Amino acid sequence: MSPAVPSLAGRTAVVTGAGQGVGEGIARALAAAGANVVVAARRAVTGEPVAAAIRADGHEAVCIETDCTDREALAACVDATVARYGGLEVMVHNAFSGGRAHRIEDLDPDLWHENSRTGVWASFLAAQLAAPHLLAAGTAGRLLLVTSPAGVEGSAAIPVYGAVKAAQRALAKSLAREWGPHGVTVNCIAPVAETPSLAGAFAARPELKAAVERRTALGRIGDAEHDIGGVAVFLAGPAAGYVTGQTVVCDGGSFLGL
Amino acid sequence: MLSGPVVVTGADVPGLRAGLAAGLTVTGATVVDLPVHALDDRSAVDAAFAAVVRDHGRVGGVVHAALEPDAGVRMPITEVDDAGFDAVWERTLGRTLTVLGAAHGVLRPTGGAIVVVGSMVGLAGAAGLAPYAAAAEGVRVLAKSAARQWGPDGVRVNVVVPAPEHEPTGVRSPELALSPPALGGPGDPSADLAPIVAWLLGESAHFVTGVTVPADGGVWMAG
Repeated sequence: MSPAVPSLAGRTAVVTGAGQGVGEGIARALAAAGANVVVAARRAVTGEPVAAAIRADGHEAVCIETDCTDREALAACVDATVARYGGLEVMVHNAFSGGRAHRIEDLDPDLWHENSRTGVWASFLAAQLAAPHLLAAGTAGRLLLVTSPAGVEGSAAIPVYGAVKAAQRALAKSLAREWGPHGVTVNCIAPVAETPSLAGAFAARPELKAAVERRTALGRIGDAEHDIGGVAVFLAGPAAGYVTGQTVVCDGGSFLGL
Repeated sequence: MLSGPVVVTGADVPGLRAGLAAGLTVTGATVVDLPVHALDDRSAVDAAFAAVVRDHGRVGGVVHAALEPDAGVRMPITEVDDAGFDAVWERTLGRTLTVLGAAHGVLRPTGGAIVVVGSMVGLAGAAGLAPYAAAAEGVRVLAKSAARQWGPDGVRVNVVVPAPEHEPTGVRSPELALSPPALGGPGDPSADLAPIVAWLLGESAHFVTGVTVPADGGVWMAG
């Protein structure tokens, strides 16, 4: 059942890493809830079809090719968003790369850098570059960071990923306190969903999918748009105006440690 | 009693590291202070640890104070420049990765324990300290990852979080939690923090890894 007035009508959202996976799901869900959505994808070849599909469904979206680890590129994306739609109420940093298995004692500096840049550095840039617009939006302003249960409990296979995802949670808590007086909220989503990267992991280790489903209370792996995007819509919308500094774990009831 | 010296390294927060070293000595540990200046260079840290093994036969435990004094300057995120963010985030994580990697190298042959001294600001968040909080929480969960990865190697990794009064942020305990310290605060690094570190390093904590112990007199009780 759709509400008569979509909850995000008149609001504009930028979603990084929206060319696939969780970012695509969040972008589709925000658009379906009435938001103007900027699909900020590193490569237009993945982002354009997502934006086109959203428009084909009768919603508003545009792709802006953006390397969100590059200050100038992300600033240009934010400027173009505000020029096109008149404001920016919702910034979602979802993009991440570098989730390859590693040992801490033999860490490849390039892999560390990739984790650090896409996870934490880009969160810093997204927060800082969106800040003037989010603060101007006041109680409609939202920053959402996509993190992971690994950012709470750590990870033996991808240890640095856990550190980076934890850092995002602490950024969110701090910015929630910093921007609270303006009415702006800052939260994290920690999803498990069907994505190309998860499909890759399952292809490499076929037993993993059954193991993940077994430990999940709901017995299935989430859908990026309907299961994760719905939570993003809630956090981005007016109903969540009193929720800030939190991490919402959307994993079907697997990690229950918060 | 530890069978080898405790290497104390990392940030030189006034009072904290010296207090820890003094308190560990009181518990009977031999303390070797590893200078800070080399922590960005893995081969230099490896060499420093190797020198401790050469001099003492082995390393009994490692304590790493992760948060640098100059990282705790309060500033709105909108005023933090790129170099300033990296000087807190990448430097803190980079040094911790270096120290943990080197510590693993000397502890693995015999088994052993690492204690990372973190920050309650990472757990609670603080306005004006977003980079510091990110670094603190990154370090804290990196320690959990290390505990999981190195459990089979016999290397334990735990975190202690001192009362925020012992950090260079200007944050005070009641800012971060709902209630004042149950035991009164903020405690003393030598008398109150060091015994907890000694316990985590020692044999009586042999089944404890990946945990965070708030050494704060009962401020942080989440979890």
